[in-house]
Amino acid sequence: MRSACLLSAALLCPVLTAQVRAVPPPLPAEHLTVESLPPRTPHWVYVYDEAFANEIDSRVHLFDGDSYRRLGQIDGGFYTSVIVSPDGATTAVAATYFARGGHGARTDVVEFTDNSTLAVTREIVLPPKRAQTGPSLFNIAYSADARFLYAAYMTPAASFGVLDPAQGKVLGEIDTAGCVLVIPSGPNRVSSLCESGRLLTVTLDAQGREASRAMSEPFFDADRDPVFVQGIPTARGYAFLSFLGEVHEIDFSGAQPAFAPSWSLVSAAEKGHWRPGAMQVGAIHRGLGRLYVPMHEGGEGTHKDGGTEMWVFDLASHRRLARWPLKARGLSRVIAVQVSQDAAPIVFAATEKADLAVFDALTGRLKHVEKQIGQTPWMLLNP
Amino acid sequence: MMRSLDRLFERSTRALAQRTSRRSLLASLGQILTGAALLPLLPVDRGSRALGAETQPKPLGPENCQYWKYCAIDGYLCACCGGSTSSCPPGSAPSPITWIGTCHNPDDGRDYIVSYNDCCGKTSCGNCECNRNEGEKPVYRPSRNNDLNWCMANADANYHCSVSVILGVAEK
Repeated sequence: MRSACLLSAALLCPVLTAQVRAVPPPLPAEHLTVESLPPRTPHWVYVYDEAFANEIDSRVHLFDGDSYRRLGQIDGGFYTSVIVSPDGATTAVAATYFARGGHGARTDVVEFTDNSTLAVTREIVLPPKRAQTGPSLFNIAYSADARFLYAAYMTPAASFGVLDPAQGKVLGEIDTAGCVLVIPSGPNRVSSLCESGRLLTVTLDAQGREASRAMSEPFFDADRDPVFVQGIPTARGYAFLSFLGEVHEIDFSGAQPAFAPSWSLVSAAEKGHWRPGAMQVGAIHRGLGRLYVPMHEGGEGTHKDGGTEMWVFDLASHRRLARWPLKARGLSRVIAVQVSQDAAPIVFAATEKADLAVFDALTGRLKHVEKQIGQTPWMLLNP
Repeated sequence: MMRSLDRLFERSTRALAQRTSRRSLLASLGQILTGAALLPLLPVDRGSRALGAETQPKPLGPENCQYWKYCAIDGYLCACCGGSTSSCPPGSAPSPITWIGTCHNPDDGRDYIVSYNDCCGKTSCGNCECNRNEGEKPVYRPSRNNDLNWCMANADANYHCSVSVILGVAEK
């Protein structure tokens, strides 16, 4: 009996100790609110997550590369295309929704999100023919003055829609003779990539109708060395990388595209051995003239394999400035890359394990790894 | 001694019951059960773009991404979703339009022209992801492109999974 009392005392002792400890005052009642976004900075990044295991539920994550916080989300629907307006104020998402979730009547629609609130403010219903394809800056695209929004169509016959975002309506459709996607330039020009290696450029009138069209000379060979469609914005146009590592810089500032002589990311010894590969295959800091490319060792058919290294190039001299090994820093292959455009730039790199790495763009120092930002982060967009 | 212990545990249980609502107890149990249910899923890398290609040491049968017929498939293998290499899972519908590839069969040494059809009308199967791109070309050559949703022309245009159907021997 005595031993049982001692045992009871031993067991109750912590309870008694807790009771004599000072009890803090109760927490105040809370009010449920909606968070406001902080002011936009150049270090924001919009992460397009295709959600490949459940594609009807793609989305865009807004992430801050300074605080390393996820700031919010934009919904995407099925196999979405995303673009940010030239002034950074709006995100346009071209999505497909099915009436019963995974099946049912198809609605194609562009939804516009106010980037200061992440609320959807407008939509434009499209004909059910938008191009449902991998991400690029040319699936939907704004004219330079944001007067028009262009939406690539594929049924698989190729054409594009001309939209008026201010009025919220589709102005018309323009056939592209088998050439695909919408590469915008100036206030009223749209170029499309052709299987022949040429660019078709359609110039629009003030109402968004076709005024003229012209076909360029070929600048690549789709059989020998195709270019990725994920063109990278440069100071005067876009750069297109080829599967074997050729860089095709195209000046889109004139009435027709002008092609600079191509140059190579790889030496003669590296060619066919090292090559670019990713879902988003490069990023350029336009002020510094630096190009960042995920590179890997591999042969034909590895063009979607991510990079095991990030190579950094100077666009003026075509010189390679650095190689950033990724595995040694605990990163899996990089499948999407972006760089901020400010004076203290950071490089964002999304990996096949869906981590988002943040690098100092000037030194290559790994500043942060956001684990599992989503499921399949295939494209990164700047504000 | 035993009666004392019984009383002690009775008091402890009553005290616990007074501090803990039934809902929170159920919630805690639910979290434990949910956690237990999720545990077997943890090693599965759902973010990888080349899951089947890199991590599955299965024999090279139709449920393996490295199976010879899949040399340019980017999607989910219908053979892992209730179908086979040449049949769609029940309740889904084949895409009438498609992309074409040439794959080498190591068993007979022949090259075969294959049709990569998508099966449509249900959401992503999500099983046996396979991303191979031998001879694959960007979307400006659609007949060799596997990024397009080839269910695009179906009445129910959602993508479910992909098959690889032999069309014939490739002539050299």
